[in-house]
Amino acid sequence: MHPDITLEMLMARYQAGDFVAATALIDRISPQLYRFFLGQIVSRLDADDLLQETWLRVHRVRHTYRPGEPVLPWFYAIARHVRVDHYRKAIRTTSREQRLEEMSELAAMAPEQIGKSDDLDALLAPLSESQREVLQMLKVAGMSLEEVARATSSTVGSVKQKVHRAYEKLRERMNAMGLRKEPSEEKS
Amino acid sequence: MRDGEIDEILKNAADRLPQVKPALLKGVAAAIQPSLRPVRPLPPTGVLTGGVFLICATVALAGAARAGFNGFAKMDLLERTLIFSTLSILAWLAGTEFVHEMIPGSRRRISAEGMLALGSVALLAVFAAIFHDYHTEHFVSAGLICLAMGVVHAIPAALLSWWILRRGFAVNPQSAGLVAGTIGGLAGVGLLELHCPNFQAMHILVWHTAVLLVSAALGALIGRARQFRTGRR
Repeated sequence: MHPDITLEMLMARYQAGDFVAATALIDRISPQLYRFFLGQIVSRLDADDLLQETWLRVHRVRHTYRPGEPVLPWFYAIARHVRVDHYRKAIRTTSREQRLEEMSELAAMAPEQIGKSDDLDALLAPLSESQREVLQMLKVAGMSLEEVARATSSTVGSVKQKVHRAYEKLRERMNAMGLRKEPSEEKS
Repeated sequence: MRDGEIDEILKNAADRLPQVKPALLKGVAAAIQPSLRPVRPLPPTGVLTGGVFLICATVALAGAARAGFNGFAKMDLLERTLIFSTLSILAWLAGTEFVHEMIPGSRRRISAEGMLALGSVALLAVFAAIFHDYHTEHFVSAGLICLAMGVVHAIPAALLSWWILRRGFAVNPQSAGLVAGTIGGLAGVGLLELHCPNFQAMHILVWHTAVLLVSAALGALIGRARQFRTGRR
């Protein structure tokens, strides 16, 4: 499949029943969706399941994509829905305490581990779920504010506000970790 | 630390996308292949909104045709214009929002709750501007009759609207239910304005507007139940 073919073109061909376009879409979008799920503090095993479930859901509702519209918000909106379903099932099957324990372990990760490993998941761990997903879409998937607003069923203003708050939290955390550049350092 | 520095850290971290197991991708492709047939995309938003709007108007008119156009007959031209143009605009807006709720990744101008608030406030403002008879008679008994009549007509309007959009996919069923309930509620209010000859301000402000709120709440509850059921599977 030619690399210049846009995701929107592939999606239109997928709707027309083209298997080659479908596999090309799966290959191109899956790593982003996989990263999106991993960023929501789920295990790799869960991320595998969520990715599969997302593609099955995408396949079932592929007619709801309208040619000409941006395709990434459509994919991410469905991926969010799958993740929410998964979360609901998970809180029924596993105890809340266990989950909270896992989350606090991540949030309390050693600062130097975060700064030096460049690990996105650890970096975003202290943020709320909605802030994390917005940053994931903006910075990892490279979506615009408008596209993120579409994917999260919200307005551009609300996305901007979440990004602003997320950056404030990250700045505080990084400053506390000693990643702040002192004025003397900056001059030199 | 500046935003640019945070951007840089995020970018460096994001550059390394995780490897997805090739077997998993092959498995996904194999799973969808047998049912891979051409599909017809959904019609444009305007067409779907038009369908929802027509259902709203038809239910209100059909209900009034059965119960009588007593309220409409008692109104003057200005009152008719103000009330029915407001209801039409709100029904169109709610219809558009419902279509957006049923298509993943759609552009949103207002939330489901915002739509309900806008509808309620707009109706209250129009009613308060038109009706000034603040004396009340049979406030509760007459009110309950209007509320029941409005909600009874709101339910088929909401269900038929849902049917129009049955090929859609609600990523948030509770929110979609709220908007469907709002649309049904607007049909119910439309019917009451056509039929109800009781022009006491408090009756209209409280009980007619309550139809919108009750229908929206019912829609949200049904959507929530649906969401809960899906989550259990």
